[in-house]
Parts: sequence; C-alpha cells; structure tokens
Amino acid sequence: MNSDYINLALADDDEDDRLFFTEAFEELKVKSKVSLFKDGIELMDYLDDSNNAIPNLLFLDLNMPKKSGLECLKEIKASQRFKDMAIAIYSTSASEEDIENTFVIGANVYIKKPNDFEKLKKVLSEVVTTNWQYHTSGLNKENFLLRL
Amino acid sequence: MPTPSSRYLRTAFVAGLFVILCIGGYTYQHISELSKASEVVKDNYSLRSELELVISNLKDAEIGHRGFLLTHDSLFLTPYEESLQKISNNLEKLDTLIVPNSKQVDKLKDLNSDIQKRFENFSKSFARVNDSEVLTKDLLYLLHEGEIQMDTIRSDISEMLDLEQRLLVQNQEISQGKIGLTPLLFYGLLIVTLVILLLAYIKMTTDLKALKESNTELEIFEKLTKQSEIVSNTSTWVWYIEEDEFEFSDNLYRLLGEEPQSFEPTLINFYKFVHEEDLTNLGHRVNLMMKEGELPFTSFRVVHKDGTIKHLKAYSKLMDETDGEKKIFGVTVDATNEVENYRIIEQRNQELERTNKELSAFNYVASHDLQEPLRKIQTFMSRLEAKEKDRISESGQIYIQRMKSASARMRMLIEDLLQYSRTNTSEKEYLKTNMNLLLEHAKTELIDSIEEKRAKIICDDLPTMEVISFQIQQLFINIISNSLKYSKEDVPPIIEITHEEVLSRNVKQIQNSLYKYHHKITFKDNGIGFEQPYAEKIFLLFNRLHGKSEYSGTGIGLAICKKIVENHKGVIIAEGEPNKGATFIIYLPFLK
Repeated sequence: MNSDYINLALADDDEDDRLFFTEAFEELKVKSKVSLFKDGIELMDYLDDSNNAIPNLLFLDLNMPKKSGLECLKEIKASQRFKDMAIAIYSTSASEEDIENTFVIGANVYIKKPNDFEKLKKVLSEVVTTNWQYHTSGLNKENFLLRL
Repeated sequence: MPTPSSRYLRTAFVAGLFVILCIGGYTYQHISELSKASEVVKDNYSLRSELELVISNLKDAEIGHRGFLLTHDSLFLTPYEESLQKISNNLEKLDTLIVPNSKQVDKLKDLNSDIQKRFENFSKSFARVNDSEVLTKDLLYLLHEGEIQMDTIRSDISEMLDLEQRLLVQNQEISQGKIGLTPLLFYGLLIVTLVILLLAYIKMTTDLKALKESNTELEIFEKLTKQSEIVSNTSTWVWYIEEDEFEFSDNLYRLLGEEPQSFEPTLINFYKFVHEEDLTNLGHRVNLMMKEGELPFTSFRVVHKDGTIKHLKAYSKLMDETDGEKKIFGVTVDATNEVENYRIIEQRNQELERTNKELSAFNYVASHDLQEPLRKIQTFMSRLEAKEKDRISESGQIYIQRMKSASARMRMLIEDLLQYSRTNTSEKEYLKTNMNLLLEHAKTELIDSIEEKRAKIICDDLPTMEVISFQIQQLFINIISNSLKYSKEDVPPIIEITHEEVLSRNVKQIQNSLYKYHHKITFKDNGIGFEQPYAEKIFLLFNRLHGKSEYSGTGIGLAICKKIVENHKGVIIAEGEPNKGATFIIYLPFLK
C-alpha cells in the first residue's frame, strides 16, 4: 500500500452528501483515495472481501437503508482485521442516544454534518489530519463529539 | 372465658348459699340447746317432786309404824312396807335424775345414809315391840332418835331443794342470755342475705338490659350488613369445618343471579355456576383452603342462568376457635366493574403508549428528516455563494442573503420546537442538584453574548433542590438569554438573581398549592421591559411582542420556561415596566 495518500471510505445513502464529501476532499487537496458506498450491505461486502485494501479512515452515516451504520459498526468492531481502521460517525442528528451508543461500541469520533460547506471542509481536514492511532489513548466521551 | 358479670353473679350465689347454710346450722344448734335446757328444767322439777315424795312416803311409813306400835295390829304393817318400797324406788329414780354435780351427789349420799339409819331405827323399834306390850324406855329412846333422824332427813332434803333451785336459776340465766342474742343474729343474717339477693337482682337486670341493647344493635348491624352487601356487590359465607356445612349470605345468591336461599348452600351447587374455564383453578384453590385454612384472593367467573358472565373475587380466612368450633369466614365480591374498568384503562394505556411512540417518531422526523433537506439547502447556498458569486447579479446576491437568513430562522425554529417537545416527553428524573452549578453551566453556555453585551450577572447563593437538572439549566439559559436579547441598546444589561424561601399561603399565586413551602427565585433585569397586560401572553407558544426584524427569536423560549416550571409543579410569573426592565419570578415547591 502506498503511504503517499490516505485510503478513505464513506458509507452514506444520501447522494448530495456523497457529492459534498468528494468535493470537499478535492478542494482540500489532501492526497486521498475515496471509496463510496450507498448502504451498509455494500460497505460490508467490500470490507469482507480480503482482496480489497482496508481503508485508513471510515466515515459512517448512521441512518442507512438495508443495514444501518450502527450494525456495520458492531460488525467491524467484532473483527480483529479492522482494529487499525479509524471510524468517524458522520450523521445529521446528534442525539444523546446515538452519541452514547457509538462511543460505547468504539467509534473514534462523532461528526454532526455541518450546514456550511466551509465548515465541512474544516471538519474533514481536522479528522483526516488527526493521527487516530495515537489519539485513541486520550479518547473520552467529552471530546468524542467533534466541535469546531 | 367467664365475663365479669357472670363472675359477679357466681360470687353472690356462693355467698348467699354460705350465709343460708350458716343460718341453718346456727338455728339447729340453738334449738337443740333450747330443748336441752327445757329437759334440764323438767328433770329439775321431777327431782323436786321426787324429793317431796321421799318425805311424804317417809311420813306414811312413820304413820304405819306408829299405828303398829300403838295397836300391834299387823294391818298397819302393809302401808309401812309399801312406803318403804316406794322410798327405795324414789331413791333409785333420784339417782338417775340427779345432775352429775359433786355437791348434789354428796348430798344424795348423805340423804341415802340418813334414810338408811331411819330404816334401821324402824327395824330396832319393831324388835322391841315383839318383846313386851308396853312402851319401854328403849322404845321411847328409839322414837326420839327416829324424830331426830327425821329432822336430819328433812334438812337434807330442803338443802337439796335449795341447791336444785339455785341450779335451775343459774341454768335459766345462761339459756336466757343465749336465747336473747339469737333473734338479732337471725335478723342480721337475713338482712345480709336479702342485700346480696337484691344486688344480684340489680346486676342481672342491668345485664339483661345491656344484652337487650346489644341484641338490638346486632339486629341493626345485620340489616345494615345485608343492605351494604347489596349496595357494594359483596357477599359473605361461612364454612363450618367439622360439620362440613356452608352458610351463604343472601347477596351471594344474588351475585349468582338467583333468589336468596333458593338452593342448598353446598360447594357442588356453587360450582354449577362457575365458568368451566375457571373451574379447575377454583377447585384447586378451594382444596388448598380446606388444607391450609386460608383462601388467598382468587378471581373466577360465574355464569348466570340467563348467560350473563360476572367476575367474582373471593377471600377467606380461618377465624380463631374460642368456642371450640373451627370455621372459615369468606368474602366474595363482584369485581365485574373493576375488571371492565381495568380493561378500559389498559386500552387507554396502550393508546397512550402508541401516541407516545408516534410523538417520539415525530421528534425523530423533525430532528433528522426535516433538518436534512434544510442542511442541504444551506450547504448548496454556501456552495453557490462561494463558487458562483462573480456570475450572480447584485440583486441576486441580496436574494441569496435573504434565503440564508430565512433558512437560518427555520433551523432555529426546528431546534426550539424540538426542545419544547423534549421538555414534554423526556424522562423526568428528580435529583438533588446544586442550583449554583446549573446557573454556572447556563452562564458558560451564554458566555459569547454575555461578553458581547458586557452584561453583569449578580447572584445570591442558591440552594440544593430536587429538580430535573437539564431542564432547570435550560430554564436559566432561556431567561438569561431573554434578558440579554431585550436589553437596552446603550446600557450594559444587569441581571440580578435572588432567592428566598416563602410560605405558600402567604403568596397569592401559590396559596392553594399542596406544598407548604416554595423556593422563590427572582430574575430582575434593566432591559426594555414590557407592558404589564402582556405579562401572561409572553409565555404562550409562538407569541412575540416585537417584530422579527427588531429582535430575533422564535417565540418558543419562554413557553419552554413555563413548561419546565410546570413540570416541577411550580409557577412562573412575569412583571414588566416599559423602559425600566422585566422581572421573572419562579416559585418551585419543596418536593419533600
């Protein structure tokens, strides 16, 4: 695997959000390879295929048809293969319940989708540049929800 | 267990019996003493007559003796012999009559010996008569001696009579004393017996009266019980364990849809009415009752002859066996209404649950689905502004600004509405919370606008209270931000927060509260204020006193405040004066 670029994945059923996501990374000029998935089934099929490279960072929408983000998160965390993959929850809602659940299962960060493109870029750049391997040790519930 | 009154009666009876027995015994003793005394008197008189007879017989003997001496005619010897015989008989009788009194006995001995001497004198003189026919010197001497002996005997007898007289008087005196006391004693004892009898009679009469009264009460109680059984749809029954017999109250028959006492009260007859699905369970329970003496609350259905189904509930318990007879008292209640009401409540609960689910579904729709398109509109607008700015005309750019502020307002509305509905539906957990801490959190949340407006918040020390903490924090945020928002343009806002404890009945707005004490927390500001007639309107949802362009806001913030205070069973009121400021007073009850 080439370490020059970051291998990113986004699972989101919303076409507009996938568009904003890719456009944001184009404008950020981060060397990255973005894989997009329309739902949880598609994402898990990709991840479970051992021929595919495991992404460095996965952005996971919670509310998806067929298989929800929470179910995907549980499956991923149950497998040793993905222990080095950082997971960012990427959702419209930021209900206490969702934040609590995903934190307990083991997501690394929770992003509430911003309503401004500039803010989106800022958030994504913050997440991508964080070294999650290192960051994990200082993780707690207070800074789990990313605020900028 | 004997009652006090029966114990009293028994004591009276025993005492009366004892007294009567005493009187009987005493009477017997006295009568026997009296008869003894009269016997003594009688003996005394016969003794006296006997003594007198001795004298007269002696005289007869002397007369016979002298006749013979004069005539030598043996004809005179017959009365003489007879008299001698009589005297010895008299002496024998005297011996039996004499009271064993040593003096009298001695005297009798003297008399005996004197009489014996006289007899010897008689015999001697008879011997002289046979020798010659004339009176000799010897004979004369013997006659003299006989005369003297006669005198001695007379004095003996008169002494004995005297002594006897004295004994008689003495005896009479003793028995007189005894007899004199007797009637008084009898009379006293009789009076005592009468008093005891009278007391027993009075006691019995009062007891009987009380018994009658309690009997009447019992009758009333029985009627009332029957009436109340009918009114309250209950019934009672008794099971006499030893005889294995049942007794059903009238209303139990009515509960089965039958006329009172229209069939024999037995288990088998009762089971005929029980719903077949409940028969096994009820039978099992009743068998258990027969073993353990208690029937816990048991529900079952009965079917009337016309097909009506009623829900009954039975309970029974073994009562203490003071009278030695074991019996179980039972109550059977018609619970049909209860069961039906329960069913209705259950139905309503399910409806409520469904409504609640719908409401939380609505929450989710509002928070997620409504916000998503809005977010996209905003994001696309920011894209449009950034990428296409050069190609849009000036007026087009103004339209974009308007669209941006409209969508920002929509976002605010959605968020506030969500907040409002969450104060309704979220879980209400009252915890002891330091109110100072909640106020600090609220201030932190508002730090930007506090600093921007250079606001000053002066605050009393607040107590620890039982509250839903996140709601009270929201309450503080909303009131303070309201004061900040409606501050005068050129004057830095000053918000004074004070606290005191008040007695509920001293405050008009809370005088009917169920709680005795309230916390009164007052927020006073120096802002633009409002006119007092609007004081109640400002708490209504979507109600605003100012145009949107002057002051931003959704008209939800104070409505949320009202809701939160109501959740805590408190009252919020507002007082305002234009251009002077507004005061918000919150009364929260001491929940414990």
